[in-house]
Amino acid sequence: MGTYRKQIEIVGDILYAAEELTIDQDGASITKLIQKANISHSRISKILSNLVSQGLLEQVDSKRACRYKISMTGKDFLREYKTFSEFTDNFGLTI
Amino acid sequence: MEFLLENILNLVGFIIGIIIGVFAYVGYKNTGSPVLFRLTIAFIAIGIGFGIIWMGYVIDDVYLQEGKINRGLQALGLGIQTIGYFFIAFSHTIKSFFPKSRYFRSVGILPLFALSAMNIEHIIRSFSFILLVYGAIETFVSFLEGKQKGALAVGTGLALLAFGEFIAWYSLVFPESILYSVSILLKISGLISLFLPISRLPLRKIKFDDLDDDEEDMKFDDLDDEKFGR
Repeated sequence: MGTYRKQIEIVGDILYAAEELTIDQDGASITKLIQKANISHSRISKILSNLVSQGLLEQVDSKRACRYKISMTGKDFLREYKTFSEFTDNFGLTI
Repeated sequence: MEFLLENILNLVGFIIGIIIGVFAYVGYKNTGSPVLFRLTIAFIAIGIGFGIIWMGYVIDDVYLQEGKINRGLQALGLGIQTIGYFFIAFSHTIKSFFPKSRYFRSVGILPLFALSAMNIEHIIRSFSFILLVYGAIETFVSFLEGKQKGALAVGTGLALLAFGEFIAWYSLVFPESILYSVSILLKISGLISLFLPISRLPLRKIKFDDLDDDEEDMKFDDLDDEKFGR
């Protein structure tokens, strides 16, 4: 039986993917984020705009397509997400 | 001796409960996770429960000097602790706590009014025991699935607390035996085991200064509730 991710887990996976894929100033393409975070295109668009509005991701202007890179706030959030995810894991729970 | 051990146990329980509760609260404030919210309530309640009993012992030691804690105060502290244990069990999706039948529910409440404070203490201890066993089993199951050492420590902690609660209840049958002291030592070991994995996590102040309050309140609630398969 498949397991389902909670919203916060999906957000964590997207930020994690963005951090992994942000190797230079260009940021990561939506396609790469979709593959890495394992999420559909229709769903990721709304989440990405939400994350950008909250300052966790930054949209990078590119001639080719929309690209995203993780912001400093996003990195802080991701670090705390990992910490508290481990905290809840210790209780046999998922964040 | 028992008086001293009780003081140590309740002080340790108060400190550990509040530390874990505050840590969970910081996590809840920064992630908005309902699981962390439930753990906050659970550990703050456990901490307050231990704190009330500790205060009862201190009050007796300093002012009353009767050599025993006020039974009502002890029942109150144990009751609040049980609420905390309930929220840990509830986080593991406990489905029903009280019987569904209206008749049984009404009958089930009656003893709370009819029995003495001593008997209420027994009832509360038995509830605590059941909830702790449930929490321990669920945590052990998670350990078997994920092989995470932290889950093993927490599961062992909850199991030791449950065993300590059981021995404490059993010691009422043999009041002059060593059982009560053993139960206190078991519970102290359980609390320490519960705290071990949390102590390894970085306890630091978390800040999101560049997010204003409205944005922070927004969190991720406005995303669809629809789940997405991995």
